[in-house]
Amino acid sequence: MAALAALLASLPAAVFLSLLFEGIDRKLHARMQGRIGPPVTQPFYDFAKLLNKESVFPSSSSKAIFASAPVIAAASSILAGAIPLASLVAGTSVVGDLILILYLLTMSSIMVMIGGSSSGNPYGAIGFSRKMVMLIGYEVPLLASILPLSLKSQHSFSYHGIVQSQVGMGTCFAFAYPSSAFAAAAFLACIPAAAGVVPFDVPEAKTEIVHGYLVEYGGPHLALARLAKDAASFALSFLALTLFFYHPPLFEGHASLGGLASAILCVAFAPAMMFLTVTVPRTVFARLKVGQAFKFCWSLPLTLSALSVVLSAAGF
Amino acid sequence: MGRGLRAAFRALLRKPVRVRYLTEAGEMVPVPERYRGKITYDKGACIGCLLCIRTCPSGAISTTEEKKVEFSVFKCTFCGQCAEICPKKAVKLGSDFELVVYEKEGMVVR
Amino acid sequence: MTGETRELEYDYSRLVVPFGPVHPALKEPVHFKVFVKKEEVVDVGLRLGHVHRGIEALAETRNLVQAMYLVERVCGICSHSHTTCFVGALEEIGRIQPSERALYLRTLVFELERLHSHLLWLGIMAYEIGFDTLFMFAFNTREAVLDLFEEITGNRVHHSMNVIGGVRWDLDGRMVEKVGRSMSKVREAAQRIREIFQDKTVEERLSGVGLLDRGAAQELCTVGPTARGSGLKTDVRKEDPYAAYGALEGSFSIVTRTEGDAYARTEVRIFEIFETINMINEILARLPGGSIRPGETIIRSMNRVPQGEAVSRVEAPRGELLYYVRTDGKGGLRRLKVRTPTLANIVGLRQMLIGGEVADIPVVVASIDPCLSCTNRITVIDLDKGGAGEPLRRRRRKWPH
Repeated sequence: MAALAALLASLPAAVFLSLLFEGIDRKLHARMQGRIGPPVTQPFYDFAKLLNKESVFPSSSSKAIFASAPVIAAASSILAGAIPLASLVAGTSVVGDLILILYLLTMSSIMVMIGGSSSGNPYGAIGFSRKMVMLIGYEVPLLASILPLSLKSQHSFSYHGIVQSQVGMGTCFAFAYPSSAFAAAAFLACIPAAAGVVPFDVPEAKTEIVHGYLVEYGGPHLALARLAKDAASFALSFLALTLFFYHPPLFEGHASLGGLASAILCVAFAPAMMFLTVTVPRTVFARLKVGQAFKFCWSLPLTLSALSVVLSAAGF
Repeated sequence: MGRGLRAAFRALLRKPVRVRYLTEAGEMVPVPERYRGKITYDKGACIGCLLCIRTCPSGAISTTEEKKVEFSVFKCTFCGQCAEICPKKAVKLGSDFELVVYEKEGMVVR
Repeated sequence: MTGETRELEYDYSRLVVPFGPVHPALKEPVHFKVFVKKEEVVDVGLRLGHVHRGIEALAETRNLVQAMYLVERVCGICSHSHTTCFVGALEEIGRIQPSERALYLRTLVFELERLHSHLLWLGIMAYEIGFDTLFMFAFNTREAVLDLFEEITGNRVHHSMNVIGGVRWDLDGRMVEKVGRSMSKVREAAQRIREIFQDKTVEERLSGVGLLDRGAAQELCTVGPTARGSGLKTDVRKEDPYAAYGALEGSFSIVTRTEGDAYARTEVRIFEIFETINMINEILARLPGGSIRPGETIIRSMNRVPQGEAVSRVEAPRGELLYYVRTDGKGGLRRLKVRTPTLANIVGLRQMLIGGEVADIPVVVASIDPCLSCTNRITVIDLDKGGAGEPLRRRRRKWPH
């Protein structure tokens, strides 16, 4: 029951943190370009503004899919962000919820993609095909990089189990074994692609295909589609921090506060993760082409994750 | 990649670029000496030769009943030709760049 | 033909992607009808004329001084090129020789304009390939040049520098020093931008994209950096020196690249920035004394331009700009014809785009540095069909011989 309450409380928290993280990202991005940048609260204004606008449905779209896709997308990526938060706070989690989290993140991408392609806009169609390629590109290394963690934590696919096994080891996975160190590198290298930022924002490349699958969206639906993206990058950076860098001396909160304290500490450190994996790449790289992006995903992250799986199977 | 990264972190540590609109005291930032802003017109010095009307490229200048001229800043393209041609230097392009008014009348220089 | 090949011709996977007239990669209205097969471009249709302004016809209703300011507004970025070209034609018709100092100052502003145009273009190019940081850096650098314009001429965009037979604004010692100081700063910043452009990710996006070989570049009459990127050694400043370029011939060289891709065009422009900075320093060092304009009013100069015609060429930042001017001898214009550089280059776009990817379209279009408001002086109207052409038909008249 307590776990359910924690999850329910985590949902609005995940929404809030997603938007806050986008604000931090935009501010740092701007400062790295020499700009002042928008206030950190800007995404909240944008979100509120878009919610108050009217949604326009193109006549060529299949309305049911077009309208429901962003809702499902936002819901699933918020859930993907809320589950880790809740299980840290409650100190428990369901068996195999890590698979669920990653599935929800993929779900969110697929839903936005389907929504875009149902708009009947050629840019949406190109965005769809590009996103498809990207999905195939980053999903495999992303999933493969989780395997070593599971192997090292008694074959558990429970999020909380993996976090707790770091507590048991007394050190975080990124520094514990060679295999998990490679897995951490692979996971981090996949985040820009999974979050869909430059250099991997090919499916929505604004100068090429006018935001691809988002092209026909407006108003509350656009707000939700964008929230889905923000929540995904929040969830990914939070996952990266807690799965690979949950260094117990740093994150194990005071005993009296329990899980809440460590969750707050993780949230406080997650922007650093996001800065490294989202803000810096999108500041210092040019957008890749689809082929180049795919080639990247299947070279560096895939090699790293394959290496980590082999190493962990061999017992390193 | 290394160069871009270095440049980005250098920018992160520096103060962001900013072009001020108001000074610290709340006044408009000073403009260069030759800046071509809103026209100023010294009616007393004007001799009504109408050379400015002849050369104005945008037709912003018109005659008045008292054989003087008036300037519509809305039509003005700030080329400064009128100031240059005026034999009595009665027309100048001032430093006022904030061309926002509630009444259109405010944008007619007499 | 066999049935199989015919099937290929009616390929339903061919998608028509409209590109413009409103598109975030294009800041100005032009419409490309891009036929796409998967990610490959198979054909391109081009349509111009969305913002046809009728400047040429308008100029015929003005006197020469008014027309001088009008042609300055053909383009916001190469405004000084347009007046220099126009005034050059008038001076040729009227046999008016500006003073040495005036010519040097004209050249100085001209080169500053090339500097800011190229920096702007580098920023746009970075933006097209999704590199917003580089865009910001380039525009920040460009700001220093615009501040110089404001200081020297009083306006950042439309400088109003030229008058018939001279220039309007002089440079005093303090300003010469200031321009010199700014140039060393700009050189430093441009050096950094150049280094980032040599980055592997940028190079991967640009090299091999939008190929235009030397033969095609010549055949399609491309001009400026587009032609020079394809190995054509063409530059009006060398071939037909105007203003002070004849005297400055030794202080700059023509930058060419033979690859003919977007990266070559980028490199040409980057190295031209350094050539230009060198030339500006040279101009500052060699600035001759004397007056900057004739001692008479501009109306008198205007009335001294007799009836006649002239063709004038300048090397605008985007390439050769050509004016045909015919005066009526009463201070007015009979005919004005403007051939902007983009109009010459835009023809090459089709060849550059076909066979490329959709992702490359903005890069290729941007790589010729299109100035579309300059170019939108062509609009195809079928007069016999009436309709939209009707008002034009009423205004149609016979040109005086």
